[in-house]
Amino acid sequence: MTILGRILIVEDDPNDVELTLTALTDYNLANEVVITRDGQQALDYLHCRGEFNTRSSGNPAVMLLDLKLPKVGGLEVLQQIKSDERLKMIPVVVLTSSHEEKDMMKSYSLGVNAYVVKPVDFHEFVNAVKELGVFWAVINEPPPGSVKK
Amino acid sequence: MAYWNQEFQRIHSPIVRYGFSVVSVAIAVGVALALGYYEFRDVELPVLTLAIALTTWYAGAGPSVLAVLLSSACFDYFFTEPLYSFGVSGRDLPYFFIFVVWAAIVASFSAVRRRIEDSLRQARDNLQVELEQRRHREDEIRKLNQELGKRAAELEATNKELESFAYSVSHDLRAPLRHMVGYSELLQRQASSLLDEKSQRFIQTILDSAKRMGNLIDDLLAFSRIGRAETRKTEVDLEQLVKEVVAEIRQDTKSRDIAWKIGALPVCYGDRSMLRLVIVNLVSNAVKFTRMRRPAEIEIGCVDHNKKEVEVFVRDNGAGFDMQYVDKLFGVFQRLHLPEQFEGTGIGLATVQRIIHRHGGTVRGEGAVDKGATFYFSLSKAQHAAEMTENAP
Repeated sequence: MTILGRILIVEDDPNDVELTLTALTDYNLANEVVITRDGQQALDYLHCRGEFNTRSSGNPAVMLLDLKLPKVGGLEVLQQIKSDERLKMIPVVVLTSSHEEKDMMKSYSLGVNAYVVKPVDFHEFVNAVKELGVFWAVINEPPPGSVKK
Repeated sequence: MAYWNQEFQRIHSPIVRYGFSVVSVAIAVGVALALGYYEFRDVELPVLTLAIALTTWYAGAGPSVLAVLLSSACFDYFFTEPLYSFGVSGRDLPYFFIFVVWAAIVASFSAVRRRIEDSLRQARDNLQVELEQRRHREDEIRKLNQELGKRAAELEATNKELESFAYSVSHDLRAPLRHMVGYSELLQRQASSLLDEKSQRFIQTILDSAKRMGNLIDDLLAFSRIGRAETRKTEVDLEQLVKEVVAEIRQDTKSRDIAWKIGALPVCYGDRSMLRLVIVNLVSNAVKFTRMRRPAEIEIGCVDHNKKEVEVFVRDNGAGFDMQYVDKLFGVFQRLHLPEQFEGTGIGLATVQRIIHRHGGTVRGEGAVDKGATFYFSLSKAQHAAEMTENAP
């Protein structure tokens, strides 16, 4: 069995969560997935605080981050992660609906590892999520200190 | 300034002016007589010429003539032998004559001086009027400028609003679409064995429509982005650009029988990526609408009108269009063919027009049903554009 890295998904839309999980399940990538529904929850998870204070420490192998989130927005989450010594090594992939150059520029200047626009076509969407999951959770060697199974 | 103003205040009523003449001569005569009474000698000449000068100065030419005549008469009557008669003795004739000449000279000098003063005053008045007008114009310009500034701010606000509108369209409208497509696909997968053919078709229609709407949104966003993006104008070798685009399109049309013909094209002045989009749109249209032709003929060339502009055309032998609808060709989402015949959202030519308009050029189309179509766009030549910038101040 290949070593599977933990995937942290930050997504507020339940439909998108379900579709993403469906895509990951299709390729047996869904075992080590954590879902957080807004930016605050995601940061709580990463810092092992609040509702996550009992979780075993360790960073996810990859974080799939939506930009438009309630409470703390995606770009702000990204900024906080990349300016935190303990978190900045986590590979972050922005997975968003936004085609806007503005968002893209901002994300890259904050040090995002990849920027993926969610395709409208379902097959393409499934494909994109699968490729992301396979690459970041299986192929890519995550930085030391990441949770593996 | 106040001094001059006072100087220029002249007497206007004729009665007062001639009265002034009479009174000043009378006073002069009185003063001369009084001085003569106190044994001062020969004061009458300067006193009377002073009266003439003053009259000319303040009352003008007519009263000055009157003053000369009056003072000559008074001089004759009061101060030349024989006294108290208008007769002049032979001995005093030169003296009297000199007085008359002297009085006339003083009057004419004063008159000349007065005329100069008058023209000077007029010039000053004109200047003042002009100054007033200029101040008025400046006020107007300032007002217009303010209005322009306000308009610019309004425009900027509208632009911002539009931008955020486009942003939320791109962001929020796409999510539900993606869900429609996603869940329809899941339903198709989950229930394919349970659904009859009709239900399958329904799901397929939902899918197709959602995808189509996704394309429409993308096209509309791209179109609005063209309007907002800044143009970065450089010299663009059109021939090279066209060859690049055609080479790319050829890759995708290997199965088709297309006879390409690319003429010599000049170097133009414009935004390379935008002009590329123009050529891509026009050439892909030509490829699309010649689908049923074997061989399809696509020609790209230019008509050299003058040294300022060049008109580039893309000609095909495809489906063409009815010239009756030529006005609709360049509208957003305007289509002249059924979606079953030729796919597309109808944004291509609108994009072409928008880009060419932003470059200060024009677009037009010619065609006939089943006889092919030709699309023209005009651009400034690089040489002319360079000259323009050189000549600019």
